Amino acid sequence: MSTIALAAPAALPSVPARTSGYLVLAPSCLLLIIFFALPMGTMIGMSFTNAETLAPTLFHYQRFFSDGLSLSGLYRTAVMSLLVAFCVTVLGYPIAYYLAGSRSRWRALVFALALAPELAGVVLRTYGWLIILEDRGFINDALINLGIIASPLPLSKNLFAVVVGLTHVVLPFGILSLTTSIQGIDPNLERAAQMLGASRLSVVRHIILPLSIPGIVSSLLISFTMAASAYATPALLGGAGFKVLATMIYEQVLFYIDWRFAAVMAIALLSMMLTVSFLGIRYETRRSLRRSNREGGAA
Amino acid sequence: MNRVLTFLFWLAIVLVLTFITLPLLVVVAASFSPTSAVTFVPWEWTVDWYGDLLADRWLQPFLLSVKIATLVAIISGALGVLAAYAIVYERVPGSDALMAGLLSPLSVPQIVKGVAIVLFLSIIGLQGFLGTPALIAAHVVLALPFVTRMAATSLANFDGNLDRAAQSLGASKRQRLQHIVLPMIKPGVLSGVTLAFIISFNNIPLSVFLVRPGDTTLPIAVINYLEYSLDPVMAAVNVASMAFILTVIFLFEKIGGFSAQLHGGSK
Repeated sequence: MSTIALAAPAALPSVPARTSGYLVLAPSCLLLIIFFALPMGTMIGMSFTNAETLAPTLFHYQRFFSDGLSLSGLYRTAVMSLLVAFCVTVLGYPIAYYLAGSRSRWRALVFALALAPELAGVVLRTYGWLIILEDRGFINDALINLGIIASPLPLSKNLFAVVVGLTHVVLPFGILSLTTSIQGIDPNLERAAQMLGASRLSVVRHIILPLSIPGIVSSLLISFTMAASAYATPALLGGAGFKVLATMIYEQVLFYIDWRFAAVMAIALLSMMLTVSFLGIRYETRRSLRRSNREGGAA
Repeated sequence: MNRVLTFLFWLAIVLVLTFITLPLLVVVAASFSPTSAVTFVPWEWTVDWYGDLLADRWLQPFLLSVKIATLVAIISGALGVLAAYAIVYERVPGSDALMAGLLSPLSVPQIVKGVAIVLFLSIIGLQGFLGTPALIAAHVVLALPFVTRMAATSLANFDGNLDRAAQSLGASKRQRLQHIVLPMIKPGVLSGVTLAFIISFNNIPLSVFLVRPGDTTLPIAVINYLEYSLDPVMAAVNVASMAFILTVIFLFEKIGGFSAQLHGGSK
């Protein structure tokens, strides 16, 4: 309401337009306040209160940091997300390099194949990996039938399965951010190096890779945050054998009905992701600062 | 040396593309599996699993998902256009801060938003709101930033001279909005609305907290079933719902969505 009062003096020629501007914004703001701001505030507030007396307490946080189960959940989430970030970036790089540089007619096909799975939804893809990796799934079935192994390999309900599934889910996003970054590299640099006799490998190593570091960083960041906040893939491919914060939060709310502990876990997950994004933003600002300093010095 | 490198490079590309497409192919193949164990037998197949989709068990959640996604697309489309109009077209004071506020839900993971909403509703004693109403509200919160951003981009990109020309020729504001602004931003808004529909239809991390027995969306029904059985009916459900999403995208495309936007606005 106070914003309307503030707006009035600045808006001499079209006061009605400005007021109506705030009026049409009202439904969106109201919705976000009721279903986003207030719930977030309530959740954070709750995490600091006692369940019965509502007195302020740090008990739930102390419990989180002294409880082996929740700490190992935090640790598993971090390890899983780091591995996914690494796999996505390594697997995505050749595709992105091809998409950024190629003018061949295969490019459209590679682009479609690389990105189309995004339309299929997470459940379908996770189900696909389930029937491939499961104890009686395709891989184990084939290996047993061929007589290579006697009992199924532990391919599902563990870190390996979750990393495979999440890498698949996140890969298109990694490819997109890597492609954008590699496309931004001046092609003349590559040509100049080749003319001076550099081999393909040394062009990639000394020119493409160093100049695409911002793309690599953003691919790592996107992959890490998407993996850390994923729910369905760890729930189905990890199950009880590999619990991460996201699936533990769900358990706390629906099975243990321990709201305050669930709130603390959610806040832990949120803080981990915000920290990682913050580091990414700081890296990006430092890099552009350095660049503008360099350019300023050259001028 | 260079030949070996080229070979390795192509090998890497083929392997990664195989990795990407493999699970999709496996699901499509599994949906025609002749036995209830998922098997791959190219010369024996059946479409019986697709017949099972018409059972209430799958039809009910599907219809609920369609209903929720449709309402979410309409509501977030309307709210997003209004918000973008106020911020970009009217440039209300404080529009940058307002835009940042409207986009802020993007920085919070869905699962955290989901817990927060369910805790909030329980604390204020509105558990009765869980189920369809809460699903719609939560999905709109999720989709609104995307729709707002797409509508705002279209509004910021269209040629303001058209609008000024109409104004100098004496068109009223209502006429300009109706005949110039809305048609110009239609492709961007339609893309946003399609995205909102897909976001809602496929959503799991928010829905998982808000569904109620009897009020379950399709993806949640699927993951609940997958906890117990992997049989081919799951493959059929998944393939059918992907076909449905592709149809929706195709229909929106027909009435002037994505590619019209790529080609620089509608006529």
